[in-house]
Amino acid sequence: MTATTPALVRIGIVSFAHHHNYGFATGAQTLPGVEITAVWDEDPAAAAAAATQFGTSFDTDLDKLLARDDVDAVIIASENVNHARHAIAAAGAGKHVLCEKPLATTAEDAQAMVDACERGGVKLQTAFPIRFIPASIALRNAIRGGVIGAPLAVAARNPGTCPQSWFVDPALSGGGAVMDHTVHVVDVLRWIFDAEFVKVYAEVSTRIHDIPVDDTGLLMMKMSNGIPVSLDTSWSRPGNWPTWGGVMIDVIGEEGVLSLDAFADVLEVAETGAGTYTWRPTDSVGDAEMVLGFVNAIRNDTPTEPSGVDGLRAVQVTLAAYESARLQAPVTIAT
Amino acid sequence: MTTHAPPRPATPNELSERPVRLAVIGAGGMGATHATGIKDDPDVEIAWVVDLDLPRAEHLARETGARATASIDEALTDHGVDAVLIALPTSWHRIATEAAARAAKHVFCEKPIARTSADGRAMVAACDQAGVALMIGHVVRFFPEYQRIKEIIDSGELGQIATVRASRTNPPVQERSSWFADVEKNGGVVLDLMVHELDTLCWLFGDVDRLFAQGLTFTDAQPRRDYAMASLRFRAGAIAHVESSWAHSTHRTSIEIAGKYGLIKYSSDKASTLTIERTVALNDKLDRPARVHSRPAMASPHLRELRHFVQCLQTGEAVLIDGAAGVRAITLANAVLDSMRAGKPVFFNEDGSVAA
Repeated sequence: MTATTPALVRIGIVSFAHHHNYGFATGAQTLPGVEITAVWDEDPAAAAAAATQFGTSFDTDLDKLLARDDVDAVIIASENVNHARHAIAAAGAGKHVLCEKPLATTAEDAQAMVDACERGGVKLQTAFPIRFIPASIALRNAIRGGVIGAPLAVAARNPGTCPQSWFVDPALSGGGAVMDHTVHVVDVLRWIFDAEFVKVYAEVSTRIHDIPVDDTGLLMMKMSNGIPVSLDTSWSRPGNWPTWGGVMIDVIGEEGVLSLDAFADVLEVAETGAGTYTWRPTDSVGDAEMVLGFVNAIRNDTPTEPSGVDGLRAVQVTLAAYESARLQAPVTIAT
Repeated sequence: MTTHAPPRPATPNELSERPVRLAVIGAGGMGATHATGIKDDPDVEIAWVVDLDLPRAEHLARETGARATASIDEALTDHGVDAVLIALPTSWHRIATEAAARAAKHVFCEKPIARTSADGRAMVAACDQAGVALMIGHVVRFFPEYQRIKEIIDSGELGQIATVRASRTNPPVQERSSWFADVEKNGGVVLDLMVHELDTLCWLFGDVDRLFAQGLTFTDAQPRRDYAMASLRFRAGAIAHVESSWAHSTHRTSIEIAGKYGLIKYSSDKASTLTIERTVALNDKLDRPARVHSRPAMASPHLRELRHFVQCLQTGEAVLIDGAAGVRAITLANAVLDSMRAGKPVFFNEDGSVAA
């Protein structure tokens, strides 16, 4: 094997319940030495359509996909509560796992996934593409390079439109906007600052949509390095907003401020026929880079980044936020 | 001799016949902004400029056609003075307001009303007892964007309000104004900037049920930078994030309001109708910002605010921002500081006082 012909990694796609898997699969297809060899979805029509889209075959039975010799690894994007069942089954079948965020809806499930992958001798990576967006990497380098001196405080937001469907069914999603939008920013800040979140105070409510889960959330957190962080997780973007939402992180430092607006690099597109006005990304949103990180960890037998434990930590912060909102008091985050 | 007759506040009848005679107490930044802004208004005559720093008072008095003095009593015992404009360090607001009320002068006082809620309540009582008007200079309510937002919120167009983000950033002030930066005396960025948002948000969304805050005010960073973030939960249910900064490079305000039926966003740096960019040769240093935003169409909010006060004196109508509103804002601001210090939420009673 030479550097120009990377070892082949064959991927099975497990569920398109979260549409992110279309992006991950598309990203995977751009990578040399990566093949999508099978797809599965609970909905056979969705599986068949995806198989056509990605030029591969589909299985109607997940166990069959997991038993295939031509699948080395799976990318899972089923409903949040099903991540654990699917990941543990994959680990049992000896398949490496890249799993959509949030890793699970309980800390027990997330820990069980970490344990199962360790037992099965397979990699577990949590799908946090924000880490792989070039601007996030540049932000991390700028902070570590002292561009704004000592970092002192962080104001962040991950607002979005309401995704509806199973996302608003607590039996499948485990929660609403706070479950959906806490983990990205928590993960990228843990990575940027090499620190844990130790405390959270949260306000959580349902005020925009007629849904049985929360759509409005504000988290006031503290990191182990003492830096205070605020995070707005709300599904506050109206349905006709020009994009799905965004990830914005302001870092206030001793000598200045760094502002990340991860999805700001867009074309504004107005179409008179459709009567739409939308923002479309001009460049990477991190998907291909994230899958590349995963397959390289498999090829080189190196630790995954973000790991399963990184996914677990973000889940723990999310659950502590819900607990804080219930108690109307700050909660210390279990680690 | 008529000097023993108790002083009597000027009435709307009197003040609709002639200009309101104003004593400007404090000739610093805000005093000068107000005085120079209103000096040509036909309804106002600036009678006195008072400052302990007499040359500073004289300078502003020359610009505004007033007399200068270092003695507040000299201005307050002048029966020709109808009203005072107090633009002193916050911790002096109470003593100056009480003195003005005793002298039966109407009072316009810069924000925040006082350093403590108790001082603020004493000012309200003194003015009520003397029968003089008291208005607090929460000028943000006179900015056109916030007035337009108020109309939209009150119209119900957005439906139930869900989440609000309000931000106000400035460069560090510590180096240029030391009294300002003294946290114990003046409360740092929370009493300087966040008090604006606290007043504006209560005006828009009603009273606050609880809040939680964190930031740099009580850290080692504060002498050089100050920064605060607060989470507010309104009685009506909406959640707000308020950011106040003395750590940015420029002045900027923004607000975003999301409700059941839509979203409003405003950012001052996007509202520039005239932007001036200066180019320089490579490696040259700029002594001024390279890029300046401006809104030439906007009448000065400080002038609008002061004109509103003068009109209320002339008509006898209630001022838009009374002492109670000032007390509410300072009670919230002090609760923000308390929450920051203790790391705990602060809850409020129905009457706006802090719950035990």
